[in-house]
Amino acid sequence: MDTPFRSPLALMLRYGLLSILAFMVVCPLAWLALASLRPQAEIFQPVSEFGWHTFIPSRLTLDNYRALWNGDFPLAVKNSVFVAFMTVVFGIVVNALAGFAFAAFDFRGKNLLFLLVIISFMMPFEAIVLPLYVMIRAFGWANSYQALIVPEIANGMVIFLFRQFFASIPRDFYEAARVDGASWLYIFTRIAMPLSWPTIATSGLMLFLAQWDSFFWPVVAASAPDYAVVQVAIARNINFEQNDWGGLFASTNIAILLGTIPFLLIQRFYVRTLISGGIK
Amino acid sequence: MQIGRRQFMAGAASMAFLGSVSRAGAQSTTLSAPWMGWPEEQVTPLMEAFEKATGIKVSAERLPIAELFKTLEVRLQARNELPDVYLVDGPLTASYAARGHLLDLDEMLSGDKDRFVPTTLVQGTYDEKLYAMPLGTSSQLLFYNKKLFAEAGLPEPSSDPEKRMTWEELLPIAQKLTKPDISQFGFAFENTNPYQLLPIPQSWGAEVLGPDGLTATGYVDSDETVAAMSWYQDLFQKHKVGPVGTFQTGVTQEMFGSGKLAMVIGGTWNLVGFEKFEDLDFGVAPHPYFAAGKPVTSTGSWHVGINPRTAHMEESKAFVKWLSTRDAMDLWFNLRKYPPALKEIWEERATTTFVDPAWEIVRYELANTATPRPATPGYREYEDFLKTAMQDIQTGADVKESLSRAAQNIDREMRKYR
Amino acid sequence: MISSRWTPYLFLAPALAGLLIFRLIPIVVAAGGSLTGVSLMGDMRFVGLENFEYLMTDPEFWSSLNITLLFNVIINPLQLAVAFGLALLVFRPLRGVWLYRTLLVLPMAVSTGISAVLFGLFLDGNLGPLNGFLEWIGIGAQPFHRSADQALYTLIGIATWKGAGYWMLFLLAGLYSIPSTVHEAAAIDGASAWQRFRHVTLPLMRKPMAFVLVADTAINFLFFAPVYILTSGGPSGSTSVLMFQAYRAAFTFSDIGRSLAVSTILLAIILVIVVLEFRLLRSPEERA
Repeated sequence: MDTPFRSPLALMLRYGLLSILAFMVVCPLAWLALASLRPQAEIFQPVSEFGWHTFIPSRLTLDNYRALWNGDFPLAVKNSVFVAFMTVVFGIVVNALAGFAFAAFDFRGKNLLFLLVIISFMMPFEAIVLPLYVMIRAFGWANSYQALIVPEIANGMVIFLFRQFFASIPRDFYEAARVDGASWLYIFTRIAMPLSWPTIATSGLMLFLAQWDSFFWPVVAASAPDYAVVQVAIARNINFEQNDWGGLFASTNIAILLGTIPFLLIQRFYVRTLISGGIK
Repeated sequence: MQIGRRQFMAGAASMAFLGSVSRAGAQSTTLSAPWMGWPEEQVTPLMEAFEKATGIKVSAERLPIAELFKTLEVRLQARNELPDVYLVDGPLTASYAARGHLLDLDEMLSGDKDRFVPTTLVQGTYDEKLYAMPLGTSSQLLFYNKKLFAEAGLPEPSSDPEKRMTWEELLPIAQKLTKPDISQFGFAFENTNPYQLLPIPQSWGAEVLGPDGLTATGYVDSDETVAAMSWYQDLFQKHKVGPVGTFQTGVTQEMFGSGKLAMVIGGTWNLVGFEKFEDLDFGVAPHPYFAAGKPVTSTGSWHVGINPRTAHMEESKAFVKWLSTRDAMDLWFNLRKYPPALKEIWEERATTTFVDPAWEIVRYELANTATPRPATPGYREYEDFLKTAMQDIQTGADVKESLSRAAQNIDREMRKYR
Repeated sequence: MISSRWTPYLFLAPALAGLLIFRLIPIVVAAGGSLTGVSLMGDMRFVGLENFEYLMTDPEFWSSLNITLLFNVIINPLQLAVAFGLALLVFRPLRGVWLYRTLLVLPMAVSTGISAVLFGLFLDGNLGPLNGFLEWIGIGAQPFHRSADQALYTLIGIATWKGAGYWMLFLLAGLYSIPSTVHEAAAIDGASAWQRFRHVTLPLMRKPMAFVLVADTAINFLFFAPVYILTSGGPSGSTSVLMFQAYRAAFTFSDIGRSLAVSTILLAIILVIVVLEFRLLRSPEERA
C-alpha cells in the first residue's frame, strides 16, 4: 500500500483523481450555491446560452438569505439542531451498548435478536408510519419534541455498525480484563469505547444525519409551526402554483453547510486512532 | 345599496353565531389545521383575524403540497380527533367524503349557498351535499410576452372572450415565435396535470370520464380524446413549438419569465408568480379552443372542510362559518389572489380590482366556460394515471397506447368504489 | 456485581426496548395489515392472502419487481466499489486530504428528496446547466430522467452521487481500525502492494464491507423519494420500483392492505439478499 503513492507520478495521479471526483461531486452544489446569490428573476440560464454566466451571477444579492433570516427558517434550524443533538447523545450510548453485547457475548437467542435488529430497518417507513402515529398519539406526544426524538434513538443500523466494529477487537482483550476483575461496564467504557473513536464518530454522524435529513415523520408527528424542522422549511418553497427557487436554493445551501459541521468536527477522530496505534 | 344591506344582514347573522360560540368556548382552544405551505405572511393574518373575532386560535400547519396530501391520509386514516379542520383540494372532496372524513356542511351553510358563484360549489359537493367550502376558485389564461410579439411583428391576441383564438390560429403564431437557435419556444401549457390539460379533449368534444364517474375505458381512450391528445403531442414532437419536459409550473414559469417562452396557458396564480420578473412585459388573452368544438376552461381550487371526529366541533364550525363571511373572504383575496368564490366580492371590486383585463376574462370564463374536473371519489387515481400518460405523450410515447393503458389502470383502481 | 449470564441482556435492554416499541411492533402490525382489507369507511376485515394473490396476477407488480432487482443489482456493488475506492484515495496522509474528504461528503447533508429536486433542475432539458455544458462541448443535450432508456440510470447516478461519500466514511473508519503493525509486518515479508491489499487489507475489511453492503442494500431497496419527485415511476413505467407501488397503493389508491403486502414482500426480499451478503462476506473462521 505504501510504495505506489511515494513516487511523484503516483502522487500526481492521486491528486488528479481526487480533484476530478471532487469536482463531479461539488459541481451541482456549486451551481446551487451560486444560484442562491442571484436575483430571483435570473436564477436559471437557458441551455443555449451556456457560458461563464451559467455559473457566475451578473449581480450578487443576499436577498434570498435575508428573506430566510426573517422567516421561520431560523426556528427550524434551532429545532433540527436540538432534535439531532439529543438523538446523537442518547443514540450513541444506547446503540453502542447493544452493539457491544452482540460483539462480546455469547448468549441464548443472540442470532434471533440480531435478526430482529436487522429487520428493524428493512420495512419501508411509509408502511409503519400509521401504527407509529397511532402509538405516538396514544402516548400524548403528538406535536412535541419527544415524538421527534424518542422513536429515533434506538437505531438498528447503528447497532449493526457498532457490532461490526466491536467484533474486530479481539476477545482476548476483554478476557484479560475480566481475569483482572474488571466489570463488563468498566470494559465497555474503558476498553471497548476508547478503541472505537472512528466508529463512535461515524455512528454519531449517522444519527445526526438521520435527523437532519428527516422529513416525512416530522410532517406527520409534529407539524405544528413551533416544531418545524429544516427539511420541512426547505420543502415549503416548493409549491405547486409558484416555486420560490431562490428560497429553496438558499435554505438548501445553509442546510448543507450546517449539516457538514459535525463531519468537520469528527474528522480529527479518524486521525487520532491511527496515531494511538494498533490493537493486536 | 342592495348589496350593502345584504352584506350587513349576513355579517350580523354570522356575528351573532360567532358570539354564541366564543362564549361557549371561553377557555382558549387551538384548532389543528393542516394547510398549504404558502408563505407565512399569506396564512398567519387570516388565522389572527379569526382569533381576534372569536378568541379561538388556529394552528396552521403549513405543509408542502405533496406532504399535505400524504399527512392528511395518515391522520385521517388513523380516524381520531385530529385534525380539526383541513384544506381540501376541490376534486378530492368526493374521495374524503366517500370515506367519511368530511362533515356535511349543508345545514350550517344552507343560508349561504346562493352567496357563492355556482360553479365553485360543484367540487365541494358530493352526493348532493356540500362537504367542503370553497375558499376561492381558479381559471386559465393565455399569457403572452409582448416584447417577443413585437419582435416577430405579430399583432397581440385580443383579450375579448368573444374574439378568442382557435387552436388552429394559435399554431402558426407559435411557429413564428419559435427560434431553436436561441432556444426560444412559441407555446406551452404550464404543466401536465389533468386540471391543466383536460380542456384540450373537452374542447374537442370528448367526455373525459363516464357518467357514473367510475368508467374510464371508452372515455379516456376514446377517438376524440386520442385525436385531441395527438394534437397536443404534435405541438412538442412534430411542430416543436413547445419545450419537451415542461412537466411542472416552476420550470415553465421561469422560461416564460426569462423570455424563452412566448405564450403559456396557465392558472390565475401566475399573475402573482410573474411579478418577480422585473423585465417581463406580458399580456393576457382568453383560453383558445378548437374551431370545431367549444371553449372550455378548467376551474376549481382549495376548499376547507371539518373532520367529523373533531373534539372541537363548535369551534371548527365557527372557523368555517367565519371563513364564509365577506370580511374573511375579502382578507383572503388580499392575501392570495384566487378568484373569489363569493359573488359579493366580485360585485364590490367590480370597478376597482377587477377592471384589469385578466380579471374580466376570468369573470367571463367562470360564468360561461368553466368546467369542473370530473366528480368522482376516485379522482386521485384518475389524476395520477392520466398525468403519467400526459407526460409520456409529451415525450413522444404512442398516444393511443398511453391513454388505453391509463384507462385500464383507472378502471381497475375504480372497482373499489362500485 | 451482576452475574455474567444476565449482562448481555442488560446491555441490550434499552436499545431493544426502543426498537421493539417504535419499529418491531409497528412492523408486525404492518405485516398483519397485509392480510386485511380496509373498506372505504375504514372497517377492517381479514382477507387472508387475497392481497398477495392480487399482486401475483398484477403485471405491474412483476415489472416493478424486475426494475427493483435490476436497480439493486447495479447500484449496490457500484456504491460499495466507489466508496471503497474513495476511502483508499483519502485514507493515507496527503497534504490537503481533509479538504477532499470534506468535499466528497458534502452531498450527505442534502436530504434525498432535496437532492432529487436539485437534480431535476440541474439536468432539466431547458434550464439545466449540465445540458448546456453537454451542448457546448458538442455531445448534445441528453433527456436523462425524461427518457425511458436513461431514467433508471439517472436515478442510480443521483443516488451514488449522494451515497458514495457517506459509505466511504464507514470504510475509512474500517481502514483506520487496521493496526499499522499488520502492514509493516507484511512489508517486511516482502509482499507487494497489491499482495498486501489483497491478502491483508481486504480480509480485515470484511466486517466494515459487510456493514456497508447490508445497510446500503436495505436503503436502496427502499429508495423512493427521487422516483416520486422526478419520474413518478415513468417514463412509460421504466422507474416504477416496488416502493413506488407500495406508496401509490397507500396514498393514491387508499388500498392499505395491498400497500402493506408490497412492503412485506420487500422486507422478505431484502432479508433473503442480506443473508446471502452475510454469507458472502463471512470470514473463514465464521464459515467453519
